[in-house]
Amino acid sequence: MIKAYYRPKDLAEALEILSRTDGEYRPLGGGVTLSQMSAQTISVVDLQSLGLNSLTQEGQFLQIGATTTLASLANLDYLQPGLKSAIRLEANQNLRQQATVAGTLVSSGGRSTFGAALLALDALLHWLPVDQDQALGEWFALRQPPVNALFINRVQIPLNASLAFDTIGRTPDDLPVICTAVAKWPSGRTRITLGGFGSAPILALDAPELGGAEAAVRDALSRAADPWASAEYRQEAGTRLVLRLMGQEQAV
Amino acid sequence: MMIYFTLNGDLVEWEADPSESLLSVLRRQGMFGVKSGGCAKGECGACTVLLDKKPINSCTLLAAQVTGHQVETIEAMGEHPEQGWKKTAGLHPIQQALVESGAIQCGYCTPAFALAARALIEKNPNPTEAEVRAAISGILCRCTGYLKPVQAILRAAAVMRGEMIPPIMGTPETETQGWPVSMPLPGDQPESSAGLAETTSQTQVMPKIWTSQDAREKPRTHIGRPEVKVDAVKLVQGKPAFSADIEKRGMLVAKVLHSPLAHAWIKSIDLSDARALSGVAAVLSYKDIPRVIYSTAGQSDPIPGPLDAFSLDRKVRFVGDRVAFVAAETAKIAEQALRLIKVEYEELPAILDSRESMQPGAIRIHDEPEFVNFADSNPGKNVAAEIRIDIGDIEKGFAEADRIYEEEYTVPKVQQAHIEPHVVVTYWDEDDRLVIRTSTQVPFHARRILAPVLGLPVKRIRVIKPRIGGGFGGKQEVLIEDVAAHLTIATGRPVIYETTREEEFIAARSRHPMRVRMKTGVKLDGTITANAMYALSDTGAYGCHALTVTGNTGHKAMALYVGDGPYRLSPNIRFYADVVYTNTPPAGAFRGYGVPQGFWPLERQVEHIVRDLGLDSIDFRLKNTLRSGELHPFSTAWSEGREPRPEIVHTVGLEECVRQAKAAIGWDQKYPNVEWHAVPGKPHLRRGIGVATVMQGTAIPYLDMGGASIKMNDDGSFNLLVGATDLGTGSDTVLAQMAAEVLGVPVDDILVYSSDTDFTPFDKGAYASSTTYISGAAVALAAEMAAERIKIRAARMINKQAKGLEVTEDDIVLGNKHASTRDGRAVTMQEIALNALHHDDQEQIMGTGSYYSPVSPPPFAAQFAEVTVDVETGKVVVDRLVMAVDSGIIVNPITASGQIEGGMTQALGYAVCEEMVYDEKGRARETDLDDYHIFRADEMPALETIFVQTYEPSHPFGVKAVAEIPMDGVAPAVGNAILDACGAAVLEIPATPERIWRALKKVTP
Repeated sequence: MIKAYYRPKDLAEALEILSRTDGEYRPLGGGVTLSQMSAQTISVVDLQSLGLNSLTQEGQFLQIGATTTLASLANLDYLQPGLKSAIRLEANQNLRQQATVAGTLVSSGGRSTFGAALLALDALLHWLPVDQDQALGEWFALRQPPVNALFINRVQIPLNASLAFDTIGRTPDDLPVICTAVAKWPSGRTRITLGGFGSAPILALDAPELGGAEAAVRDALSRAADPWASAEYRQEAGTRLVLRLMGQEQAV
Repeated sequence: MMIYFTLNGDLVEWEADPSESLLSVLRRQGMFGVKSGGCAKGECGACTVLLDKKPINSCTLLAAQVTGHQVETIEAMGEHPEQGWKKTAGLHPIQQALVESGAIQCGYCTPAFALAARALIEKNPNPTEAEVRAAISGILCRCTGYLKPVQAILRAAAVMRGEMIPPIMGTPETETQGWPVSMPLPGDQPESSAGLAETTSQTQVMPKIWTSQDAREKPRTHIGRPEVKVDAVKLVQGKPAFSADIEKRGMLVAKVLHSPLAHAWIKSIDLSDARALSGVAAVLSYKDIPRVIYSTAGQSDPIPGPLDAFSLDRKVRFVGDRVAFVAAETAKIAEQALRLIKVEYEELPAILDSRESMQPGAIRIHDEPEFVNFADSNPGKNVAAEIRIDIGDIEKGFAEADRIYEEEYTVPKVQQAHIEPHVVVTYWDEDDRLVIRTSTQVPFHARRILAPVLGLPVKRIRVIKPRIGGGFGGKQEVLIEDVAAHLTIATGRPVIYETTREEEFIAARSRHPMRVRMKTGVKLDGTITANAMYALSDTGAYGCHALTVTGNTGHKAMALYVGDGPYRLSPNIRFYADVVYTNTPPAGAFRGYGVPQGFWPLERQVEHIVRDLGLDSIDFRLKNTLRSGELHPFSTAWSEGREPRPEIVHTVGLEECVRQAKAAIGWDQKYPNVEWHAVPGKPHLRRGIGVATVMQGTAIPYLDMGGASIKMNDDGSFNLLVGATDLGTGSDTVLAQMAAEVLGVPVDDILVYSSDTDFTPFDKGAYASSTTYISGAAVALAAEMAAERIKIRAARMINKQAKGLEVTEDDIVLGNKHASTRDGRAVTMQEIALNALHHDDQEQIMGTGSYYSPVSPPPFAAQFAEVTVDVETGKVVVDRLVMAVDSGIIVNPITASGQIEGGMTQALGYAVCEEMVYDEKGRARETDLDDYHIFRADEMPALETIFVQTYEPSHPFGVKAVAEIPMDGVAPAVGNAILDACGAAVLEIPATPERIWRALKKVTP
């Protein structure tokens, strides 16, 4: 249950409210997730007036304001097409207008296509007031912010890395039973992530080159069984997808 | 807290709770055009509003978040052009296009479509079809298959660009700015497909129609015309037309506590804390209300199934079963009260697999002494129904076969997933009669069934059915009305009970899952000599519709193939079934009513046989199918638990359906074409094409009855009162067309009021594909009675003019709002009305009619599907569905094709993605529309509908049913297409990627 709603006008005010200790205060992005919470009594701090919805290219990186909506990000001309596909599958058309980048990432589960894609891109979450970056992979593993961190103000992804993405569901728009993203940097560094199961997307490979990818994927999926698909199937299908995406990357 | 925002151009300042959603606030303030899909997660998009010109889900947005923003709802988009002396700008072009294009069925999602379209077109005035589909992909529609909404939005965009768009009812020769006008001439035949040319979508609103010679000989004025739905204008404006769209002073909100266990005794239940909570008006457990056994199945008396349910019981039989009811001032308080109810359970072993239900030593699910058997139900063995039907000599047939084929197939439990959840409002009226305003398909059955449960005589209950936001059988159930009614009785206050989406999954009804064994004997020339089916059907915890659904699995599916030669005269068919209880949510009625469960195994079995024997897939089918003039083989064996009577099938358009659909999809160019099956540059992809032939029924003979009454008004318009229940199908419209046809007036002179047990005649309700046929015949009879009085009076009025030969009523023809003689003399309907009501020998011109049928003429169809399969991963994409349907005469091509498109889409979900799965504790895997995926607008295959019009002689307008048959053929056609693509023999649906992959491994180990 939400007992109080705050809409701070600037960062200082937001930080002041979120640092209060007389209850639980949570940053509110689009509201897609927080509006569903009913069991816990919380106060929400709406970040919409803080100007955190900008998209800024800084060198080879894109700084994505925390409250940027998925729709706004997907509309960016120069965004990796694979990431656009992952965004489209993350949430339906209406929710994409509302769901924020940071809110989606912090609440994403194993079937999050956006989470899998940004994990492949080795996205960084930037936390305030500690002014500290946290790798998305660390967030997925720990589900804990850095010490004294209160909220994310931006997410950073590389623009010089290509991203290939594919998914298997029962229909073209379905939640995935297996999805995979392959990010490749000009240096040859390659990150392969897998999703469609579990509590968060997982990293199968982060290597200076593609070698060993198939074995890494098979190993990462060896226990990926749940009521939606067997590990055996995910291993086979996931490997096929990764090999195809790697082929695309090599072709590029 | 206070919130401030601009709503439809006006600044508003409202009070809102910090945790309250925008949806809740808007509806509380009377914005009933914003609909609730029962979730708070943005699953369906029914609650769409525009926030700063962008479509968002108001259920997921806190009301507080919109302070300082602009919100637009459907209420400000457009309105009726004439409000008495005040003229308005009328409907918005998008609304107008939705109305004209037949894009509105139940209308529950229509305001959302309109708003999303507006946002799109304001930003992009010339969208492509793909862009339109993407723009509305956040809104789920369970009725239309999206084809007509998409076309409507494209039309609207063109209108808003200033282009001249021909009307839907134009002539086929006309073409304006590239817009094909799609009204075919009678007898216009579909063009043969170029074969290999692909389109992304069918782009016509109107279906193609082929008409038999006998049907052509009966030209009509209104029958066969794409008339606009009579409820379209109100639905497109988001008017408060649905059950929940009502305000009553002091109305309480009901919530239900559901069982967390699959099978348990309630050892103790403590309601004291819940009752003590401020704002709680009533908390009820099984101790507080009478113990009355009944069946929740909305069927005629006597219910053809066991009586095995109570409003509340001491035992719970599935996760989601009812434990207690709460009524409180707000939903929030009611939910809080549920958490304060303390229940101690004694957990019992649960049966979750239907194969275990009849095993010796299995725990008994129904041990209540009040249990009332029907036919062969046997609660001691967990059997809700048993069916044993033998036609001919099955063993002799097998002995005469050259080959015998045996296989087992599995079909899943699936949910109706109507976008409007179940909703009911109950209150006492000023005469101390209980009014039940509910989203039901069966208002009259609901009244009859509820009376003993509530301790009220039937005459003290009034059931009102407003518009329904989809039903599909899920509302052919007395599922929620008792909850609100008990609470109104307990408190004396109005009560509303709206189920959540999660409750729809855990506590509502579903399609019976079945395990089906087939055994078929065939001669080498392709003659079927014997065909046997055994179905193990899982009715879940209660036996609602157990016998009748499963009976139809055999009655309809197994009737299609009778064999050829001597077998045609004396087919050998066996259908045995056991319908068993398990500790899972009860199954019930779902569009198709058992028949889709039969056609998956049957048509997969047929495909296996033809491929094994090397026969032509289509020739084999047509060689063995039922033909005109033959006896329906089951008509002497079974009739929904009642006495069977022989029935001849007079119209079978199946051969023409096959011919038309085959040409439309390009079967001859694709099926034998090796190159077509390959996808250039993608060796892991394979294309396939498949077919299934199917049949259904039209109403239940000697049982289903509908009534109608008509009265004439001063201006020559008519009130048509029908008990028939339009659940979005357009039945009110086709009934109005029939009345208009007889009375010779435009459809908009027929004012339809349906389904109010106080004011309309009885009708058994909307199920069994019966309304157009049964209720339509009743309307025709009522209209003829009124027409007779009109003609008598008209003759008298014309004779008084003394301008020619004296005429009698037999010389009068009704048409064009006139009663005319052949020599050109005429009086208007208005003159007749005024004469009758005010001037001369006064009378109320009216008519009544009721109808039941001795036959159930089957519609037939040929379903084709094209797929692409990834042979490495099993991923399948359905590319195209073409269905040619013999539903007799089509009264309204737009609404009828909407039924086919929407039905095919539901059936597509049955084929590839929809199923309800439970864990080892009986807990549902699917509790929302994210996990339970139904198709979205931007992932649809191309859809094409063709009608093959035969003239069914048993009906005054030659109609047969249309609503359910599209559920039957898609799954097997898709299964057969997958087989054609890659050899994977999937025996279980949905054909998920993993199931296909496993089947592929058997082909290429």
